[in-house]
Parts: sequence; C-alpha cells; structure tokens
Amino acid sequence: MKRVIIALGLAATLGLLSTAASAQMLKTVKDRGTLTCGVSQGLPGFSSPDDKGAWTGLDVDLCRAMAAAIFNDASKVKYVPLTANARFTALQSGEIDVLSRNTTWTSSRDTSLGFNFAAVTYYDGQGFMVKKSLKVNSALELNGASICTQSGTTTEANAADYFRANNMKFEVVKFETADEAIKAYDTGRCDGFTSDVSQLYAMRLKLTAMNDHVVLPEVISKEPLGPAVRQGDDQWFDIVKWVHFAMINAEELGVSSKSVDEAMKSPQPEIKRLLGLEGAYGEQLGLTKDWVVRIVKLVGNYGEIFEKNVGSGSKLGIARGLNRLWTKGGIQYAPPIR
Amino acid sequence: MTPQQQELRQTRNPVAVDIVGLNKWYGSFHVLRDVDLRIARGERIVIAGPSGSGKSTLLRCINRLEDWQEGSVVVDGVELTDDLKKIEDVRREVGMVFQQFNLFPHLTVMQNCTLAPIWVRHMPRKAAEDLARHYLERVQIPEQAGKYPSQLSGGQQQRVAIARALCMQPKIMLFDEPTSALDPEMIKEVLDTMVMLAEDGMTMAVVTHEMGFARQVANRVALMDAGQIIEMSEPARFFENPQHERTKLFLSQILR
Amino acid sequence: MNSIDNTMTEGNGSQLRFVRRAMVPERARPLAVDVIGAIWRRLFGGVFNTMLTLVSAFILVALVWPTFRFMIWDAVWDGASRVDCLEETLKRPVGACWPFVQAKFGQFIYGFYPEAERWRPNLVFLIGALLLAPLLVPGAPLKRINALLFFVVFPIVSFFLLVGGRFGLVHVETRVWGGLLITLVISFTGIVASMPLGILLALGRRSPLPAVRVVSVAIIEFWRGVPLITVLFFATYMLPFFLPPHWNVDALLRVLIGVTLFSGAYLAEVIRGGLQAIPRGQFEAAAAMGMGYWKVMGLIIMPQALKYVIPGLVNSFIALFKDTTLVLIVSIFDLLGQVRTSFSDPNWATPVTLFTGFAFAGIIYFVISFAMSRYALAMERRLSTDHRAT
Repeated sequence: MKRVIIALGLAATLGLLSTAASAQMLKTVKDRGTLTCGVSQGLPGFSSPDDKGAWTGLDVDLCRAMAAAIFNDASKVKYVPLTANARFTALQSGEIDVLSRNTTWTSSRDTSLGFNFAAVTYYDGQGFMVKKSLKVNSALELNGASICTQSGTTTEANAADYFRANNMKFEVVKFETADEAIKAYDTGRCDGFTSDVSQLYAMRLKLTAMNDHVVLPEVISKEPLGPAVRQGDDQWFDIVKWVHFAMINAEELGVSSKSVDEAMKSPQPEIKRLLGLEGAYGEQLGLTKDWVVRIVKLVGNYGEIFEKNVGSGSKLGIARGLNRLWTKGGIQYAPPIR
Repeated sequence: MTPQQQELRQTRNPVAVDIVGLNKWYGSFHVLRDVDLRIARGERIVIAGPSGSGKSTLLRCINRLEDWQEGSVVVDGVELTDDLKKIEDVRREVGMVFQQFNLFPHLTVMQNCTLAPIWVRHMPRKAAEDLARHYLERVQIPEQAGKYPSQLSGGQQQRVAIARALCMQPKIMLFDEPTSALDPEMIKEVLDTMVMLAEDGMTMAVVTHEMGFARQVANRVALMDAGQIIEMSEPARFFENPQHERTKLFLSQILR
Repeated sequence: MNSIDNTMTEGNGSQLRFVRRAMVPERARPLAVDVIGAIWRRLFGGVFNTMLTLVSAFILVALVWPTFRFMIWDAVWDGASRVDCLEETLKRPVGACWPFVQAKFGQFIYGFYPEAERWRPNLVFLIGALLLAPLLVPGAPLKRINALLFFVVFPIVSFFLLVGGRFGLVHVETRVWGGLLITLVISFTGIVASMPLGILLALGRRSPLPAVRVVSVAIIEFWRGVPLITVLFFATYMLPFFLPPHWNVDALLRVLIGVTLFSGAYLAEVIRGGLQAIPRGQFEAAAAMGMGYWKVMGLIIMPQALKYVIPGLVNSFIALFKDTTLVLIVSIFDLLGQVRTSFSDPNWATPVTLFTGFAFAGIIYFVISFAMSRYALAMERRLSTDHRAT
C-alpha cells in the first residue's frame, strides 16, 4: 500500500509538470505501426499468456479491438506486462499508449494522476468465497471468521470496512501473492478468501476440490474496471471509449463475428450506421468507415469476448451478472452511434 | 649477454651508497638519528646490533622501502626522493634478500626468477630463463627450477631468493638478516652462497648476527644501537679491539 | 622387536643407550580392516550415536519420500490441459503436473522471444557452452585465447545475435526476452562486469591517495547500503523522469548496469579481505625489484588474493544468480517470473500447478548453483597446491 501511495504521490507531482500531450496519439500509433498496450503480469481471464506465449483475456481483447479498428489487424499490438506499482508511471511516462490492466476507475485516479478512464469494460466488485461445509449462505454470517487475502491492494481495506460497518469481527491473514493466499485458504488456514469476484472464480480453479467451495452473493465494493489513457488527447480518448461502445452496440444489435457479413445486408438504419454503410461516424473519430466491421470481425462483440475470456466459454465460468446489457437487466449501456 | 659473459655489474660511481644526516621518525619515535654512512664500490659492510637498533630500517632506506624525514640517501649518484621514477631506477639496480624470503608462492622457482627480468627489464623469455638457470646453478639448486617454493626447505628457499635478486643483475645487494629465519643446519649453505658472491666482488650491505661471516668477508663491521652508528671498523679491530663500551657489551653478549 | 635387540638395557630396565644396526625399510600402510565394522560402530556404537542415526534417518525419510512421491511417483507425465492433472479425472492422488511444464517450456526458457527466432538464443547457448567447457578443464590448452574468446568476443557476438537489427537479423526487443535466457544474460553480465569493478574498488579503497580512497569508499558504501530492489525500481521507473526525454536507455541495459554496480560493491569487500591476507613482504619483494604498482598488483598480489577469496567470490556469484529473480519487480520476466506468470493461465489452473512450477524452477536454480559451487571447490583444491597452508 505504501508503495502505491509513494508512486501515486510522485506521479501526481510529475503529472502536473508533464507537458500535455497534443492530439497526436493516433498519428503516433499509426506511424509506429503497433499499439502499445499495458497489461498485467498474468491475471486469468483478463490478461495472461497462453502456451504459445500469445496474450489472451478481456483486457487484451480491448487492445486487439483497437488495433483492429486502427490497422485492420488485431495482432498489431505490443503488450507490456506491468506490476501494480509500475502501471501508472508507465502510462505517465508515455511508455504505453493505453492501460488495459483491470484498473479500477476511481476519482483520485481520474484526476490527480492525469488519466482519463475511457469506459468500464467489466463491472467487478469484491466478494467472498467459503467452503460449502461451513454452511454459510451470506457474508453477514461471517462474524469471527479468518479471511485470507492478498496484501497491498484495496481488498484488505474494503473487507475491514465491511466487517466494521456490520459490527462483525474478523481476522485477516495476508499474503504476498494471490496464489499463496489461495493455497493457504485451501489448506484450511482460513475460513474464507476475499478478492474481486472475477478473481474468485479464477482462483477457484486452483482449489483441490473446486465444487466444495461457493462464492457468496454479497458484493461489498465497487470495482469498475476499464482502460485508461493520458489526459490531453481528446481524440485518442474518444477512440478508446468508442471501441468499447461499438462492441456493446454490436451485441445489442445482434451483430457478432459470425453474423457480421450477413448484417451488412441488413436494412435496419441502426445497423447500417453501426457498420459504416451510412454516415461518416468512423471518420469523425479519425478511423475508417468500416471500423466496427473490423472490430467485430477480427475480435467480436462484447458478449463474445466476455464469454470467451471469463464466461461460459472459458474455464472461469462467470455469469454476466451486472455486465449484461441494459436490455437484459445489466448495466452495460452504450450511447448510440449516430 | 650469455651466461659466460656474466660479469658482476658495478656502480658507475666509486661511492655506491652515500647516506648523509639521515633522520627518521616512526610516529614520535626517533628511529634513525643523524646517520652518516658511505659504502664504496665493491665494499662489503656488515651492520650488527641489538634488536630495535634501527639496522634493518637503515638498510631498507637504501632502496626506499622506508622513507625518511631528514637527510639524504644517494645511491650510485641518484638521490632518492619521492620521485617514483628515480625510486624505480634505483630499485632495479639494488637487489634485496629478506629475512622471510618473500618468494612468490603461486609461481615456480623458475617463474620467481624470471618475473622481474621479463616485466621490468623487458628481457625476452628465453634469455630470462637462461639467466635464471645460470644463477640457480650458482646457488647450487638448478634441479629445483620447476618446484614451488612451499616444496623447498628454508635454506633452499633463501638461496632461490638470492638467485631471484641476482637475476636482475644488480650493482648492490642488500641482505636483511638473511639467515635469522633458518634452522641452524641450513645457515651454512646460505652463508656459503653469500661468501661466493662477496668473492666475486659484489657491493654488499648485510644486516646479520653471523659474526663468523663478518670476520670472513666484511671490509667493515658497524655496530648500531638506538638509531645511530656506535662504532665502525675493519673486522680485526672490531672484534679484537673494540673501542666503545656498547661494542664491548654487544660482543660479550653474542660471542661466547 | 629389532630395537630391543640392539638396546643395552640397564639392570633396572631403562633404555639409556641405543645404536641402530639396520635401517627400517619403508613399507605400505596396512589397509583398514573391517570397513563394515567401522561403519556399524559409527552408526550404532553407543546410545548417542544410535539416537543420532535414528533421528537422521527419520528426517531423511520424512523429506525424501514426499518429494519422490510428488515429483515422480504421483506425477502426471501426459496431458493437454488442466483436466489431465486433476484428482477427479485420474481418481488418484496427483503429484507434479509435468505436461504443464512441457507446454510452457518454451516460455520458461526463452520468455516471449519469437519462436521463429529462437535459433538465435540457442546458438548463443551453444557457443557459450562450447567456449566454457575447455575453460573449466584445468588441463585444456590455449587458455589465454579461450579466455579472450569467452569473456570478450562471446558477449559481443551474443549481443548482436540476441538483439538483432543488423547483419540481416530481425530486431528482437529486449522487452520480450525472458525466462532462463534473461536469467543467464543478467547473471553472466553481472558476474563478468562486476569483477573488474570490484577489483578496482578494492584497490581504490586501500589506496594511499585520499581522493581515490574516499571516492572508492563512498561508492562501495552507497551500493551496499541500498537494496537491489530499490536500485532496479529506481533505474527503471524513476530515472526516465530525470533524464532528458529523448534519452531512451533500454530497460534491460539499465538493469544490467544497476546489477553490476551493486555486485561490484560487494565483490570489492570480498576481494579486500583477500588483499589484507597477503603479507606485506610480498609487495616489498616485488617493489624492491623495481616493479611498479600495477605490475605488483597484477602479477603478484591479485593472483594470490583472488585464490584466497574463491569461496567468498563464488558465494557472491551464486547469490547474484539467484537475485536475478528480483527483476520481476521491473516487469522483466526471468525464469521465476515466467513461471509465476504461467500460473495465471486458466487452461492449466490446478491445485498442483503452483508446486510444479516452483519445483521446476527450484531444480534449475539448484543444478546451476550446485555446479558453480562444486566447480569452485575443485578449482580451490587445484590452486592450493602451491599454498603454504592447505
């Protein structure tokens, strides 16, 4: 935590000093020929390398979608794995073009660090996982429990707040990495494990008897995860934002990677505007007319990338939940392209 | 120079070493007091005295292993000061043999002898090795050339040290208690070597307790005590007819 | 028996005079009889020995058996994804998941180095091994040329091979290097570059010139005082703020410089210990023959000092080799970093993945460290033949 504060403080003072980037990012990226995307050092479902060394995940797919829109080639991305401490300085110093690293959008990060958060690609929150044998159905029954967690993140503080607010006592058992924490939980060192819900599902895979554990329903914090860019370049900011919105709109209108060719023939005006058959919306962003076609064809719409990386098509098996479209009861809502 | 042509090299000046008004302090201890000493070309001088008298210190001033605060030391016309170049020039021509031998343990006997000729006189390796073999023969241990110092006896090691010093073909040889660290049965072989050297005409300054050697070989014997030269004369007079009280005391102690 | 014949004893049995008649010949030492008996006595002779033996045996079994079970007996040797390493699938206790290591092996060794270009690190490894092997064998000839090739030519050639961009080779950014490749690059560079630095600092610290001495002490104490993590973090993330914006020093190069300075300071103190052990007479004898400071140091003092401190030096080298894992903090993926990253692949997430990965990394680190330490021991023994005290 201390390291985060020091890094933030330093970056804050220097953020004020750094010259504002002119509306040059898109040109720079185009000239360079690749997009430089800051990711994590390995977070299941969001950014992790597969057996071939290729990066996959939800955060990765956002960058791939951007590359698809800009270059018509989703592979023209250079991934820079960053520790939690280093991610902000990397964006500050211009080492990366966009930070797509399961970063929570908060007010302080939006202002004093000199960043703009472009969108929320995943509404996450902190939750608890316990053994089914504990016969606990709600986090409110966890009075007096020992909870394993990773140190140095907001997780610990959130848990403390929650327990205090509900007049419950608990014992926090801290570990350097999530892997160590989950191992300790598995061996019975603590009664419960707390982390962002997306990670609870990922960590569950590492337990000896996966099905003996249950994720409790309470979500005790707001962790809206999304990509961030440096302040001062509105065009670039818009591009990142609208790449995400394009994928939401595509899912809303039923356009997927499989059906995009079909959809090109659709008479619906919304679909025509989406796919660039009408209007100059792509060009307004500085991209091409068929920018959404590129995105959907090469990467997919939001539903597809969700299922593939963290949903039913992946080992994590997380339900859409809050991340459903607004039409289905969730809060993923994109402004219209028109 | 081929081994046959190895003449002992002599100083250019008739005065090999000229020490005038030498004063040295170790911290606040006045270790050398107003020392005047002149060593002529080809002369052999033996310096004796009780321990702590400063005789080793005086010897080590001749090649500036010790420095001094007052006075001057001139070796073969070159005055020794802080000038590094002059110091190295002098050291090249002055050989020294130490009480503790100080052979280089990581090198063979041959390498010990050829090291300085190759690196200081820039002699080609073959010539240096021939030279080394010549001197190892003169000190009568040619067969040990390939051994390491730790494999030799004390007497043999000291003879290697003498050969090593000779390989630089010095004009003056300094001996700082060369036999004091040896077992009695080995002292003779080292002294014999030194006698041979003296007979060849080498200019030598020897600090030693071996009075028999002094009688046999020295042109002059000097007694040092409390940092100063008490008495100095030819061996016959020094031993038979000492003048100073301290000399008499010293002789009565070491000659039984 | 002989001697008693020759002895003239007094009436009361004392041995006053003796004159030898025949010399005793040399003969071979009698072989130790009853080896088994000796061992048995050592192990079980007496209560204390027996207890020690039983406790040791117990510890051995308690440690070795589970390790054996995990690594070999219960291990899975074939598989394509996590299900093949799960207890539910196999209906038996599961040990190490070796297919996981096999799948990730390329990343463990090369990091994200493009597959098409992996022949280049392979070539570097091969050349390195070919040059190193004869250097290690004491009897091999042409040591000088060998050393020159290995310590000077090899690094330059490796640089061009690995980085590329010239001679028709594709440029591979240092950012994508990883795994054992990075570990070896950092260790090798750190060790080879910090030795001369350490020697210079050690000599500087003992210099009679006050300016040199003060600077040396300052450098040594500063670099020993800061933790390596801080050095790495500062060099990678803070330094760019202090440098002019277009000075883009490669991240790996910054790490190499930091590691070299850090290691050099530690080596300086180790070497200084060795220098202090050399008797003053060695310096005097060499100086008395007209040798200047650098010649004395290089030919006489340093060769002896370095031999004395081989244990300390190798200790530092092994520590440096393992300290390379700290570079994960600056997002450079060494062997351990790659292993940890691979834990995040959901395709291979099982309860044993963690242990398997660490076991693999542990084996590699152990093999290399042990090899270094054994070799150093052998070198020490060989070089001590000419020492006074063995």
